[in-house]
Amino acid sequence: MVDTVELNKLLDEYDSARIKTWLNICSRCGLCAEGCFYFLSHNRDPKLSPAYKVKKTLGEMYRKRVKADDRFFKECYEILWFQCTLCKRCSLYCPFGIDIASMMSIARNICMSQGVSPERLIEFTENSRKSGNHMGLPSEELIEVCEWMVEETEDEYRGVTIPIDKQGAKYMYTINPREVVFYPQDIGNAAVIFSIAEENWTIPSFGWDCTNLPMFAGDRAMAAKSVDNVYKKAQELDAEKILITECGHAYRSLAFEGPYMTGQSDGKPPVDVIHYVQLIDEYLKEGRLKIDPEKIIKEPITYQDPCNVSRNGGLWEEARNIINYLAEDFRDMTPNRDHNHCCGGGGGIMPMGPDFKPGRMKAGRIKAEQIRETGAKIVIAPCHNCFDQIQDLGEKYELDIKVFSFKELLLETMIIPEKFKPDGKANEKD
Amino acid sequence: MAETVEFEGKSFNVDEDGFILDFNEFCPEWIQLVKKEEGIEELNEEHTKVIDVLQDYYKKNGIAPMVRVLSKLTGFKLKHIYELFPSGPGKGACKMAGLPKPTGCV
Repeated sequence: MVDTVELNKLLDEYDSARIKTWLNICSRCGLCAEGCFYFLSHNRDPKLSPAYKVKKTLGEMYRKRVKADDRFFKECYEILWFQCTLCKRCSLYCPFGIDIASMMSIARNICMSQGVSPERLIEFTENSRKSGNHMGLPSEELIEVCEWMVEETEDEYRGVTIPIDKQGAKYMYTINPREVVFYPQDIGNAAVIFSIAEENWTIPSFGWDCTNLPMFAGDRAMAAKSVDNVYKKAQELDAEKILITECGHAYRSLAFEGPYMTGQSDGKPPVDVIHYVQLIDEYLKEGRLKIDPEKIIKEPITYQDPCNVSRNGGLWEEARNIINYLAEDFRDMTPNRDHNHCCGGGGGIMPMGPDFKPGRMKAGRIKAEQIRETGAKIVIAPCHNCFDQIQDLGEKYELDIKVFSFKELLLETMIIPEKFKPDGKANEKD
Repeated sequence: MAETVEFEGKSFNVDEDGFILDFNEFCPEWIQLVKKEEGIEELNEEHTKVIDVLQDYYKKNGIAPMVRVLSKLTGFKLKHIYELFPSGPGKGACKMAGLPKPTGCV
């Protein structure tokens, strides 16, 4: 049953001059279609044109209003979550500047108000509501994993620490719950890097989940709460900046959408937000981390510009600067930077589960071809979704590649100063 | 969207990522099949220990343990678990133990 009261309320709320204009001025020029990797990977099926997708969802919601029925929302579900990752590439090419992807987000929000959203995303949203992180982990679990990671580094490094809830740190480091549960080495690796850079940092015991799956599920209230958890904790700890792990959508959520979700009057986060690639770029430029010339990577290497780090985050040069230090045979994909294609795993599709995998693999063909053309054997992806999707694409399309985060490659190539070596002298300077 | 794979006279219903859908279908042949996929040459006692711990935990709790718990219960360091199962504790060890794919961004 459709909740017409809620439906009308939301439609009225979003019924601004901007949305009206956007829905009405589209001239069906088709430029957005040529920009969409779903359209390109499905033999230019006109039904996959972004203009058509937004017309069939948000456009129809306004046309039908309360006459919208359950069947209609089921059709919207297919389009909004199976045929769009909100990558915003279409918005980049619209000659009228229509932000199609933002309208798709609004349509997701309206669908969610009717209980229509992928099951796993609803589950993660509920976890966030109950615990403040999308995997429903208690704070103790995070703290124990941090302690364990410090122990694990002791064989190879000396003096690695993970300060929890430290007041007045320069960076409050926020992570993806999957690091705690499945990839704790991500936390350990970050701790080694920050310790060697002698950074003043901390991990908070709450507000540590930088991700925002409620944003992709379409639950705007819970998405705002997720962002607010992080902002508030950073203020409470008097942290200078919020630092985000190698995750794409967390950056979009905390740096750009969060201020609007939480009603910040200046449109900016209450505490500065920076992405991991910005900090590493800074460390290398300032010489706080140094790369061992003998360990520079010789194999051909390429870089996946995550949509929410590059196109929607503007950080494409920072990542390339880092690669310049790490590797000698960098081969850019075509197109690249803000024009790069989505990997096919964004917009929440990656954690939606195995049922979505065949669709992801088919849509990811464009990315697989881009990678193959570079001849690269290593792909760097500073985003968990890109990382997983490209790993899957590597197997599916037999690309013979290895996928890495910056953290992993840094640890393999950087110079470990004597005092951080387990047998080194603690007081020796560098 | 399950598919069936045949191996040494047994058939298994697996998900899109090749994980067994029903834990009850687990049998020694499954280990051999995943071993081949994982590129593990010889299984040793340590592999078996990881598999046993995962299965015991799953039978008791209905979910796969967190990696920290797996390390604690086996006494193996994380690095060593990756040496045993190159695809890692989730994609490699859980798969071989016949557990369903853990939910989340795995």
